[in-house]
Amino acid sequence: MAELTMAGALNAALRDAMRGDARTIVLGEDVGRLGGVFRVTDGLLSEFGGERVIDTPLAEGGIAGVSIGLALAGWHPVAEMQFDAFSYPALDQLISHAAHYRFRTRGRMTVPLVVRIPYGGAIHAAESHSDSPEAYYAHTAGLKVVVPSSPADAYGLLRAAVADPDPVIFLEPKSRYWTRGEVEPGAGAEPIGRATIVRPGQDCTVVAYGAMIARALGAAEAAAKEGISVEVLDLRSLVPLDLEALAASVRRTGHAVVVHEAQMTGGFGAEIVARLVEDAFDYLEAPVARVTGYDTPYPPSSLEDHWLPSADRILAAVERVVAY
Amino acid sequence: MTVDGSTQEPLRILPVGDDPGPTPAETGLEGERLRELYRLMAFVRAADAEATALQRQGELAVYPPLLGQEAAQVGSAFALDPDDWVFPGFRDMGPALVRGIDLAEYLDFDRTIWHGGSYDPVAHRFAPQCVPVASQILHAVGYAIGTKLDRRPSAVLTYFGDGATSEGAFHEGCNFAGVFGAPVVLFCQNNQWAISVPLDHQTHGAIAGKAAAYGFPGVRVDGNDVLAVHRATAEALARARHEGVPTLIEAVTYRLGPHSTADDPTRYRSAEEVARWEARDPIRRYRRWLGAAGVAGEAFFDAVEEAARALAEDLRGKVTASRPHPVEDLFAWVYAEIPESLARQRDEAVRLAAEGAAGAGEGGRRG
Amino acid sequence: MAVRDFLLPDLGEGLEDAEVARWLVAEGDRVERNQPLAELNTAKALVEVPSPYAGVVVRRHAAEGELVKVGAPLVSIEEGAEGKASGDGASAGPARPAVLIGSGPTGAGETVRPRVGAEVRPHGGPDRGPVPASPPIRRLAKELGVDLRAVTGTGPGGRVTREDVTGAAAGTRAAAPAAPAATGAGAGPRVARAMPVRGTRRIIAERLTRSVREIPQATTFLTLDATILEAYRREVGAEAGRPLGPLPVLVRALAGICGTFPELNASFEAGRGEIVLYADVNVGIATDTDRGLVIPVVRGAGDRGVLDVAAEIARLAEAARDGTIAPADLAGATITVTNVGSFGAEFGTPVIDPPQAAILALGAVAPRPLVVDGAVVARPAATLGLTFDHRVLDGAEAGRALAALVEILQDPFKLGALPR
Repeated sequence: MAELTMAGALNAALRDAMRGDARTIVLGEDVGRLGGVFRVTDGLLSEFGGERVIDTPLAEGGIAGVSIGLALAGWHPVAEMQFDAFSYPALDQLISHAAHYRFRTRGRMTVPLVVRIPYGGAIHAAESHSDSPEAYYAHTAGLKVVVPSSPADAYGLLRAAVADPDPVIFLEPKSRYWTRGEVEPGAGAEPIGRATIVRPGQDCTVVAYGAMIARALGAAEAAAKEGISVEVLDLRSLVPLDLEALAASVRRTGHAVVVHEAQMTGGFGAEIVARLVEDAFDYLEAPVARVTGYDTPYPPSSLEDHWLPSADRILAAVERVVAY
Repeated sequence: MTVDGSTQEPLRILPVGDDPGPTPAETGLEGERLRELYRLMAFVRAADAEATALQRQGELAVYPPLLGQEAAQVGSAFALDPDDWVFPGFRDMGPALVRGIDLAEYLDFDRTIWHGGSYDPVAHRFAPQCVPVASQILHAVGYAIGTKLDRRPSAVLTYFGDGATSEGAFHEGCNFAGVFGAPVVLFCQNNQWAISVPLDHQTHGAIAGKAAAYGFPGVRVDGNDVLAVHRATAEALARARHEGVPTLIEAVTYRLGPHSTADDPTRYRSAEEVARWEARDPIRRYRRWLGAAGVAGEAFFDAVEEAARALAEDLRGKVTASRPHPVEDLFAWVYAEIPESLARQRDEAVRLAAEGAAGAGEGGRRG
Repeated sequence: MAVRDFLLPDLGEGLEDAEVARWLVAEGDRVERNQPLAELNTAKALVEVPSPYAGVVVRRHAAEGELVKVGAPLVSIEEGAEGKASGDGASAGPARPAVLIGSGPTGAGETVRPRVGAEVRPHGGPDRGPVPASPPIRRLAKELGVDLRAVTGTGPGGRVTREDVTGAAAGTRAAAPAAPAATGAGAGPRVARAMPVRGTRRIIAERLTRSVREIPQATTFLTLDATILEAYRREVGAEAGRPLGPLPVLVRALAGICGTFPELNASFEAGRGEIVLYADVNVGIATDTDRGLVIPVVRGAGDRGVLDVAAEIARLAEAARDGTIAPADLAGATITVTNVGSFGAEFGTPVIDPPQAAILALGAVAPRPLVVDGAVVARPAATLGLTFDHRVLDGAEAGRALAALVEILQDPFKLGALPR
């Protein structure tokens, strides 16, 4: 076991993937000489050279479109969008092309592309550096959407994403980049599409992903002191969604609170609640609660503590739901 | 103030007026190749006319006619090597024909049988038809960079129109192509109109001239001169393959028909303007030269006309025989492996289709 | 050669009709394929429409200036014999209707096919909407047979709680399983299986729930000395050459009693504030089948002979069991008989099938100790249970009716007087 930060685990995953597959290449803004603004690609340029670690012009749509072309030509590009809100110019390429090429060509041309996007807030950043865009991608048929919450999952899921035959939007919770955790050296890929129970409990399921897992665990700890046993389910992958794990947990606990930092309306939480109504309706002792960012633009970070779901807000929702 | 490139005289080989033009030898193409260029243009025109008629008869949902652009399309595609890739837009049946694609499979896109068309894009090195304007340029550039990384001596050619040069994807594509020395030819069919918006509303400068800003050659060519188009493209492809130098080609041509069968060009342009361009018809012009230069005679032209008619007839038969795929096909290629939630939806759709519950109700199609 | 109708395609994207601006051909004209037929004005453009067929124009379906709907015939063309081979075997008319593939408002998918199977009934009662209760509480109520509308919710906002349901179950059903005492989250009984309520089961559940909810019903019992009945049915059966059970005799006798006690053959129409008495006695026969309880109807039982009733019951029961019964045979009962004795039960407290006013249960005919002339003797006997709508008749009247029925079945002369 090695203790790594999430950024370090991602770096190790990229390095191991590139060592194992000569057609895996990394491209994006500042990924080469600088090693990425979060240092996730640190050291890759010196090991793999400029043809496989490519600093690109500053154009996210171009990065996405060119990555699609590279993938069509048989390469396995891992593209980095520097920040969440900077990925929007790439939406046209990701939605109309990355997601559709397999479908459009009846499987004859595919786009094995990973788009890494540092996402989410709580890093005291300026505007356009803290968005949570997962719903845009999850809504797009043909894309997979993966969100790790720990260094170990970051490593395993990124390995799986790079090996995946379909385009994967890989959302990295940037507020967790520097959190340390155990990572098995040389651990393989962690299958995409499986949720995991990070804390078992009986009374209420908190469904979350990414940076919100830490807060959900904080709320669970506090709830335990009040005698409420909270289960924390880490989805890890939004598309495909582990319907079975989701329904099974809530069938057991009868109560659910869904947490994400993206805005509420049309957020991925709505999808989770809908699935629970479809698959676990008879077991719902109470309405499912959502704890999310408010339906405002991401706030100036001097106010982000009020905006982001906190352990306290999650706990309050758990209490409300269990006492229903 | 003159903007660089805006006044550049287009490359021209075929005569415009009474000038005899080049001798066959001066073209650098053998007689059979010269005749093949004519044959392909005539075939494309017949297929284009048939497709337009098929749309009017309810057999295609929509069709974007290419009438007037035959030289630009055929001349450029004729310069490709078999290994080169093409990333087309949606008005590019000419290059598809040159690449040997079954045009009924090409028109399956417009018959809404399948997105992008039914042909095998890999077998023909011809990507699926692409609607979001200019977005395919980036794929071509990316593919070309990939080709270069593989050290393969082949090139990529992408087609787009004058309207596309306003899109960010065009500029990003040019920029990436220049920065990475992508073996790509960016082939703009400047047909003067992006639906109803004329070129001078599309750009204040010149199209070919934009290449200078990205650090590679921009070439303006008479798009109704099949020999000039062919030469410019062949040179550009050679630069791409051997030197890693991209080229932006602006083929100056004219869309004689509507933007699509749903369009009415009389609302935005004059009959006089159309007539001026009809006088520069690329096929008549080439035929005149072929005859005058002694490359082909009436017997050849008659035979081509007969063959073109047969091709259109054959195309009609194949298009009208093309049928929708089973509904389960919708779910087969969304992901390499179908996720559980999608499998549930597939099962529902298949069941409803089996029960005859989808697709028509009272008063509907089967009503 | 065939006359082909050229149906107007959608010439734009999602257009619904087009106006004939100018005909370019006349009726009787010969046209080649792709020869322009007409100029049409659509909402978007003036469009020249070429002919899909070569032949003679036999009919123009609209005059200049007239609108033609997408999908309606524009022109009819008789395909010419002398034209060059059209080679369009595959294009024998648009494969689809004239509306373009994938384009245009066809109405496809917008209409709803006729539904098969049971009609959808609204869940809420006529008087108020759904009762507030969480999904597991609804499930529990269903399992315990508790009608949530009859429960007063003690939770916030009148929400029905687990305790409310278990309390109601304990109050209304002594035999109901003890409610789980634990109330904490997830502390309920372990569920072996939850089955969706569908089809016949759902219909029975809804009808009987309505019965218990709406009808104040009571049951009165009387024991029948079946000695005479047994002798009668054996004799009549032997004469007819086929066995005769006690049920047809009971049904026929009951039909006769309904003449004397018309309130048995009635319904209480709360909406109209009326008690409706029926002239016909249509007796529903509760029948156990693989699909659950089915109640076919012997129509005009009062006008039939005993053997006729027997034959009709046999026919209906068979049809009910093999699933071929006609809907008409299931409708229109005015009173119901349930032969609980057929599966060995001694007596039953049947639940009225609304909107009827009565239901009669026949227990098993078996030797029982009866007191005859002051001595206990073993006699074939059966217990009759009559459940009646207390809004329609009172216990005394129901008791008298049941006694009158038993009297017929115990009296050889009265039995003998029943039409055979």
